[in-house]
Amino acid sequence: MQIRLKCICRQEECREWSIIELQGVVESHPSLVDHLQNLEIGRLCCVSEGNYTFTVGYHELSGTKMALKKPLLVLKKKKVGDAFESGSSDSSGVELEVIGIIRHRIIFKTRPMALISKPLVKDKKNL
Amino acid sequence: MEVQKKREGWEGQAEASLSLTPGSSIPICYHSQFGSHDDLLLLEVDDKLLPDVLGNRVSIRGQPDEDAVLCTLSSTYAMKFVGTSNSVFLIPPGDSIPAMKTTSANDEMSTSVVASVITVAPGNIELIQAAPKLDKLQKLLSENPYNLEEDLSSSSVHSGGLHRWQDLVETIQASEEEIRAALKSLSAVEVDGYWRIVDDKTMYETLEMILRNSVLHDWKISALSEDCVLSTMEADGFPPRIVSHCLETHGSKVYCSNDNLWRLDEKRVCLRFALRVLSGGKMKLESFMDKWEHNIPPGMKADLKMLEGEVLYEKLGVEEWIRAFSVSALPSDPANRFAALFRERQKWEWKDLEPYIRDIRVPGLSTEGLLIKYTRRTQPNAEAEPIFSSRYT
Repeated sequence: MQIRLKCICRQEECREWSIIELQGVVESHPSLVDHLQNLEIGRLCCVSEGNYTFTVGYHELSGTKMALKKPLLVLKKKKVGDAFESGSSDSSGVELEVIGIIRHRIIFKTRPMALISKPLVKDKKNL
Repeated sequence: MEVQKKREGWEGQAEASLSLTPGSSIPICYHSQFGSHDDLLLLEVDDKLLPDVLGNRVSIRGQPDEDAVLCTLSSTYAMKFVGTSNSVFLIPPGDSIPAMKTTSANDEMSTSVVASVITVAPGNIELIQAAPKLDKLQKLLSENPYNLEEDLSSSSVHSGGLHRWQDLVETIQASEEEIRAALKSLSAVEVDGYWRIVDDKTMYETLEMILRNSVLHDWKISALSEDCVLSTMEADGFPPRIVSHCLETHGSKVYCSNDNLWRLDEKRVCLRFALRVLSGGKMKLESFMDKWEHNIPPGMKADLKMLEGEVLYEKLGVEEWIRAFSVSALPSDPANRFAALFRERQKWEWKDLEPYIRDIRVPGLSTEGLLIKYTRRTQPNAEAEPIFSSRYT
């Protein structure tokens, strides 16, 4: 069985996605866990070229933008229509479509620093 | 593409997060369609491989019970999922022109651009170049080797165990180039759309008939006319496809303006005769040589060097015996190859071992590395020949 990797952008450059990576987990208030959609996690601020802070609740993380050594492709599984047609070259009935490429990530490796006298926000960062 | 993106509604403004200028900031939010999105995968791809992927020349192969491999046209890569305990927030791109709504021309901070996280990636898939898995190919083709009777007895033959190119590509975990090379080294031939191994008896009989005809018709075996051979052999009941395959297997094409000429290769022809002589089992070296030299076509010279990787010698008392032991019948992956070799013999001298391992190709591992990994080397003193035995006994 074989699954084809398909790229619809053809010769054009793939659309670039980005990654914000931090150590540990961002925990939400229990009442919000099932309603995360549209919720603000925090604020990303560029302090100087390549250096960032990410403020989540009362905590501030500092990090840097890094180019990935090898790019990551974002693939999406797709069902193919003619899965049952015998002799079809893709007997699996599934296709992976390249929908984006990631070349950079903004990574926060530090422990969060506590901020004081900030307005209340909905998320809290726990390590 | 744009239409599709809109329908999915996955704009996340990745650009905004990447192109922030010093002093500016944006909110990072969970996307309105945030979720686990199990249908999204991250695949780490070398810049060298990227053009193949973007040019749609890559596919993933394997049966449900096998570890999937990724194949380009020429190479095979193992796929390994690497998990992470970090939170990896994935932000998709936005519309091609980000909707920057500035409330006031002077206030650069009050744009309504928000970067949205569509999912948290649990890890990504890494690719490691690997040796193609070709043993299955040999197994599949050995199920139903071609023999002459099936053409002569024109009954409904194609009983099963037959494989088209497309079937092979789907079942074998190797790139197309690697499959083609393996078919060539198995001397497989495409007959009526199916890839077949021709059985030894048929190959031998075909070659013998070509040689017999060359004597009858006074052909030179260093310049056999393809047209002539095919038509004469067809009259003798040998299908042209098999005859030309026999010429390809035992000779090389000599280019000539109006007719294809073939030169039979001494080594390959002699090898075929040697294996035929040995097909009955082991023989005393002396009687083997007699029989072998007697059988080969006049003008050719038998030399035991031709049989490297095809026969083993053993001493029984004062006599030396010889028997067939062909490298092509051994597994191609190194672990199983060495296991098979050490089952055959517990100890190998380098000169005997080398012909049975020189075809093993493992990306990133030299022959020296292979020996260290799979054998134990003993050398009683500096002058003695090193002896290789299994590392695992």
